[in-house]
Amino acid sequence: MVLYDSATLAGSSSGSSSSSSSKPPPLQPEQRQDIDGHLAGAGYKVRSSELRKVAQRLERLETAMVNSPADLSQLASDTIHYNPSDLASWVDSLLSEFPLTPTCPAEFVTDPVTNQTVVNDAWTTTETNMLLVPQNVSYEQQNLNNQLTVVTAMEEDSGIRLVHMLMTCAECVQCGDFSLATSFLEDMQGLLTRVNTVCGIGKVAGHFIDALSRRIFQGIGGGSINGGSAYENEILYHHFYEACPYLKFAHFTANQAILEAFDGHDCVHVVDFNLMHGLQWPALIQALALRPGGPPLLRLTGIGPPSPDGRDSLREVGLRLAELARSVNVRFAFRGVAASRLEDVKPWMLQVNPKESVAVNSIMQLHRLLGSDPNRNAPIETVLNWIRSLNPKIMTVVEQEANHNQPGFLYRFTEALHYYSTMFDSLEACTVQPNKALAEIYIQREITNVVSCEGSARVERHEPLAKWRIRLTGAGFRPLHLGSNAYKQASMLLTLFSAEGYSVEENDGYLTLGWHSRPLIAASAWQAVSDAPSEFPVPDTHRLS
Amino acid sequence: MARSNEVNLNECKMVVPLNTWVLISNFKLAYNLLRRPDGTFNRHLAEFLDRKVPANANPVDGVFSFDVLIDRGTSLLSRIYRPATAEEPQPNVAELEKPVTAEVVPVIIFFHGGSFAHSSANSAIYDTLCRRLVGLCKAVVLSVNYRRAPENRYPCAYDDGWTALKWVNSRPWLQSQKDSKVHIYLAGDSSGGNIVHHVALRAMESGTHVLGNILLNPMFGGQERTESEQRLDGKYFVTLRDRDWYWRAYLPEGEDRDHHACNPFGPNGRSLEGIKFPKSLVVVAGLDLIQDWQLAYVEGLKKADQEVKLLYMEQATIGFYLLPNNNHFHTVMDEISKFVGSDC
Repeated sequence: MVLYDSATLAGSSSGSSSSSSSKPPPLQPEQRQDIDGHLAGAGYKVRSSELRKVAQRLERLETAMVNSPADLSQLASDTIHYNPSDLASWVDSLLSEFPLTPTCPAEFVTDPVTNQTVVNDAWTTTETNMLLVPQNVSYEQQNLNNQLTVVTAMEEDSGIRLVHMLMTCAECVQCGDFSLATSFLEDMQGLLTRVNTVCGIGKVAGHFIDALSRRIFQGIGGGSINGGSAYENEILYHHFYEACPYLKFAHFTANQAILEAFDGHDCVHVVDFNLMHGLQWPALIQALALRPGGPPLLRLTGIGPPSPDGRDSLREVGLRLAELARSVNVRFAFRGVAASRLEDVKPWMLQVNPKESVAVNSIMQLHRLLGSDPNRNAPIETVLNWIRSLNPKIMTVVEQEANHNQPGFLYRFTEALHYYSTMFDSLEACTVQPNKALAEIYIQREITNVVSCEGSARVERHEPLAKWRIRLTGAGFRPLHLGSNAYKQASMLLTLFSAEGYSVEENDGYLTLGWHSRPLIAASAWQAVSDAPSEFPVPDTHRLS
Repeated sequence: MARSNEVNLNECKMVVPLNTWVLISNFKLAYNLLRRPDGTFNRHLAEFLDRKVPANANPVDGVFSFDVLIDRGTSLLSRIYRPATAEEPQPNVAELEKPVTAEVVPVIIFFHGGSFAHSSANSAIYDTLCRRLVGLCKAVVLSVNYRRAPENRYPCAYDDGWTALKWVNSRPWLQSQKDSKVHIYLAGDSSGGNIVHHVALRAMESGTHVLGNILLNPMFGGQERTESEQRLDGKYFVTLRDRDWYWRAYLPEGEDRDHHACNPFGPNGRSLEGIKFPKSLVVVAGLDLIQDWQLAYVEGLKKADQEVKLLYMEQATIGFYLLPNNNHFHTVMDEISKFVGSDC
């Protein structure tokens, strides 16, 4: 069961059509004010006008649970739960798991005066007796507050001084005072010798000092860092994949959502925005093979950079995946699309057949399309438009949960310092070499790009999911909720890691994975809002191979 | 069974505001789904359903918060809440642990409830409660994310509480100006209240000074079935069966409810006579089925000549302190404020 995220739709195009009448209409702004403030503070969205109805449903649910012969805990495991904040829907979805219960006798009584059956509303009498303190906390207020999240406590004095200096140096850079910044750099190099650089703040500080040096002495064009070969990048990516759970989480969660979206469809087509070694796909192929009713015909289109030395690495990956698919009896076809930048890809290259169900999968790619020039149309809009024109059954989006695209340098620097400290901290939990060392280099490249590059050279333009939601709903997408199944998969993935400290959280239908309480990566799923015929008809000239 | 449920639901509805009823009933039903008859717990679903909020270093209503890792080995996190001062509207990372400036700053170490199995320091309901305590008591609050049952049994929760206490006591930036000491209070609700008692015991044994204990509807029990347990079983959100489940989940396997963790003044408990235990404020809800055990706890303290104040809220149910929409809430908050404010 898929629910509208009504809060984000309010304010955008009114009258978005919904094909199923069971979905609640999107809340208009006035209606949002009606949310019970106290329950909002507890994390639940319930309209004051619906409180009584929700209460009655809860009563009914309790009766159903008491009278049910089934093992409740088994039922809880088998049901997929969505968006627990929307209490009314959650209760209803649970109620639907029980056979129709006769109406609870306590709800209806015969009015002694009129002899009619009326709803026994015990709350009407008590409301006047209860002291109701006016609600002064609005849900919107809590949602819109800027959040600066910090995790680790720094115990060493030198550690704190190092942070102070990093910030001050960054401030100098922002003001253009490079000579003062340089003297800070020297001081910091000195301090580094007194701080433990194997872990904690010392380790990540070193990378930030390097990035600042690069910016000051080599300028903001990126230079050699961005010139790393595709092959190198793939190796580093692979080690990052092995060393910590972030990419695995991305793959597991996206695959679960795609699997659920493809339920009941026989011709499916996955478009992967960044194929790499295709690490995500064996699991999906195997899950499809085990699908009750049999696997669909699966097409995979993998996008990746062209290989320089005459190799066709995309095709090699495709061949390996085809072999796997063959071994589990899944009809499979692969197509590689070589492009050095995602914005160079045109929809016709993907050869989407209108009869197939399409899943678009973007793992940390969309942020690269956020151009810095406010006068040009950012490539993101073009790409989102053509994605929408494909009318995908689902678009899975995983992005770094970070605010690294603000124009102010100091703000960006500070955010990155927090974010990458946390990420490095989480890497400490990994002891396997050389995964860890190479994974660190992978992360270091991101840091360098965020801190020392500008303009088109800066591609690591991470934005938090809250911003992506606005952007995506504005572009005509609506969120699909990731449910408790995906959450459970993610949690189970984490228990495979001996490191305690990773945490998965559900929030309004999306999932985040973080270290301790700081989310570092966010996964969400989307579908195009189908209110109008697509503006870019897909050419219907190609058949499936 | 259905018949008595009718009566139960009706009575219940009469004594709490509607939104409180919805909140607590929701917890009750959700928790029923999480406990398995074999004693295991559906942790994935529990975490999925729990509404959490992130820390926020930007002040909201004069309070900001941040998370700290107190013990790497056990991944023991705590959330610290501090009052914002006028000068720094947006503290940066190095200022979060700025030394407290007042003559006397109470530091309240808070243990959230959840019957040892549910909730976390970042659960929305407890984040809200801790923020209130900051303003109310002009205190710094540290909410401990202790390890939970059934995955982590006795004494893990107490160990984590003790670790947190030691950590707090050794922070120079939490020392009050007056005497360069950290002024510590322990507070907690439900299982958190139980943890307060046991951590205070350890503090006493090692000579660490705790100024006061605040126990809100503390979770205690025993083998015997008391009159309140029988009278109120199933009437106000809580059943004896679920209480038994949580004790079985927390206590060491094979132990019964007269274990001293559950029944500190019972047959296996220890007397506190002649011992300098912190003064206690114990809040008991008149509609809580375990009140006989809570009242026995108060008696146990009195018999040992310990300073204790009992606040018996006749018409209150469990969780009344979660939403500020009833008189009991305000009464208790006032008393807590007086309790903490009385050491200057």
